[in-house]
Amino acid sequence: MNDGEILIEGGSAALNEMPESNVPVMNPHAQVCLQHLLRVWLGFERDLSTVPLLRRLDLGTYTVDDHQRLLRNLRQQVIEGSRWITRTASSFDRNHAEIRSTVIAHAVDEHRDYELLEKDYVASGGRLEDILSMERNVGSEALHGFLMYRASRNNPVDLLGAMWIIEGLGEKMARSWAERIQELTGLGEDSTRFMTYHGHNDGDHMQRFYETLDDVCVNEETVQAIVKTAKVVARLYRLQLEELTHDVE
Amino acid sequence: MSVYITSTGAFLPGPPISVSEVEGILGMVNGQPSSLRVQIQQANKIQTRHYAIDEHQKTTHSNTEMAAHAAEQCLDRAYLDRQEVGMLAVASTQGDLPAPGMASMVQAELGLPAIEILTTHGICSSSMMALKAAWNSLRLGDHQAAVVVSSELSSRLLKRQRYEAATESTFAAKRIDFNTEFLRWMLSDGAGALLLQDKPSPKGFSLRIDWVRGFSHAHALPTCMSVGSAGRPEDERTWQDYDTYAEAEKAGALLLRQEVRLLDNIIRMGVDGYLRLVEEGTSTPSKIDHFLCHYSSHHFRSKILEMLDAAGVGIPEEKWWTNLYTRGNTGAASLFIMLDEFLRTDEVSVKEGDCILCFVPESGRFNTTYMQLTVVKQ
Repeated sequence: MNDGEILIEGGSAALNEMPESNVPVMNPHAQVCLQHLLRVWLGFERDLSTVPLLRRLDLGTYTVDDHQRLLRNLRQQVIEGSRWITRTASSFDRNHAEIRSTVIAHAVDEHRDYELLEKDYVASGGRLEDILSMERNVGSEALHGFLMYRASRNNPVDLLGAMWIIEGLGEKMARSWAERIQELTGLGEDSTRFMTYHGHNDGDHMQRFYETLDDVCVNEETVQAIVKTAKVVARLYRLQLEELTHDVE
Repeated sequence: MSVYITSTGAFLPGPPISVSEVEGILGMVNGQPSSLRVQIQQANKIQTRHYAIDEHQKTTHSNTEMAAHAAEQCLDRAYLDRQEVGMLAVASTQGDLPAPGMASMVQAELGLPAIEILTTHGICSSSMMALKAAWNSLRLGDHQAAVVVSSELSSRLLKRQRYEAATESTFAAKRIDFNTEFLRWMLSDGAGALLLQDKPSPKGFSLRIDWVRGFSHAHALPTCMSVGSAGRPEDERTWQDYDTYAEAEKAGALLLRQEVRLLDNIIRMGVDGYLRLVEEGTSTPSKIDHFLCHYSSHHFRSKILEMLDAAGVGIPEEKWWTNLYTRGNTGAASLFIMLDEFLRTDEVSVKEGDCILCFVPESGRFNTTYMQLTVVKQ
């Protein structure tokens, strides 16, 4: 079992003692990066509990209206999500063919997820035209703007930090939101398909994520860049969810 | 100045109670066996525990008495005169009296004259709060010796009469109310005590306190374990807001509750806190020889392990030690009861220079506390 030695002291001991686990043996930089990313994630996840609409999930006062509002606001993010991912793929040069393949595969998996989300919206009692006419909220604008800017730079490996947050959230939605939403609102499974489907898919994505991290995160600068981008995305994603409250029709 | 734990003591009331005897002590609510007991007991894997109430739910030992017994044992084992004790710090989720503080009552029971006292109020982590305050008092040179005691008598909250009286509660309204019943099959009674001194014991091992740290996340996360509200989101009253205590009890505002859904947060925040300590260089996972973790249930052990490993700061399983399975989950008292047995058990070989990491998470509103000890010999 890994006792963390390589992370703390920069040595190379204990690597061969790793048990079989979902997390592959990674190079020391990637491990340090993962430690930081985990802390960014844990802070993000904790702070999501302060977002009014999500707090209602915890407190048990989440309603069908809340759910529709959440879906209306998520749709734009999901649509834009496929765009920044494809832009990211095209920004990698031939020296980054491996990561480019991974990103392309990821984009193929998800680029029409928003259609599922639209169906969920209708199943939860919303009108299709309402969700189709919804604009990006203030937080979505900021998040999308940042991601497109980073994705347009050469070899934007720091966007692994963005994927970490967004994939993690997908898993969280499946793990702890979908069933809770059904329990509180009385809505059926057909209102949370996007959440459950997305989470299911994200298991494989995480595996690929760890492999990619090990490949590209090989120096201190990359660690810093990935962690910084994860922090920005975490903050802007929360902003997007906080801005749901301002979606009053 | 360095401060050392130079003696320990523990008190567990009555005989060990096996899994199948538990409901005989706490009582069947309205004469009906619980439909959740077996499931919850299988998950926590606690084999035996102790209660300070008998099979008629009559109290056999007060919380004060248990605390005093543990402190007496601790002082009897110490190489110092009682007069040298300058401070008594006592932690509990709920003393026998809501007021005054429990330390007053324990001091009286122990007959320690004119000492400084401190009562810390909280749940599991209140023990670490008391310990940290006593440690700091010694570090500042205010005292040469302090006794820190932590004692829990939760069975009084868990006996059948509490649930039977809650006729208008969520417990009465639902066929199964997991949140209200969960802790009934988890918690039990006991007390532990530590003696802190400004020098190591002249004989045997002492434990130098290297650091004590805590991170509370109440600013972001909702209440998860509590007594005092009816557990209905639309009702903001707490127990003293009802016209009479009888009404509060009827509404279920005096029942002990755990929002089971939120419990995963304690694991996440526990790992987050540890990553902080690693990041700032306070703790080095590879240097830890023994890990004493107050996990409330076996169920959470594997989850903690998984996350620590994922972060690359895992602590090998053979370094973990607990007596949860035989002594029960005694809340705030758990760590002290654990330390007391750890130093005496044959299961582990402890040697000079060993580094011990202690972790006490509290799900109340998510407080995570950590301590590092080093084994020393004079």
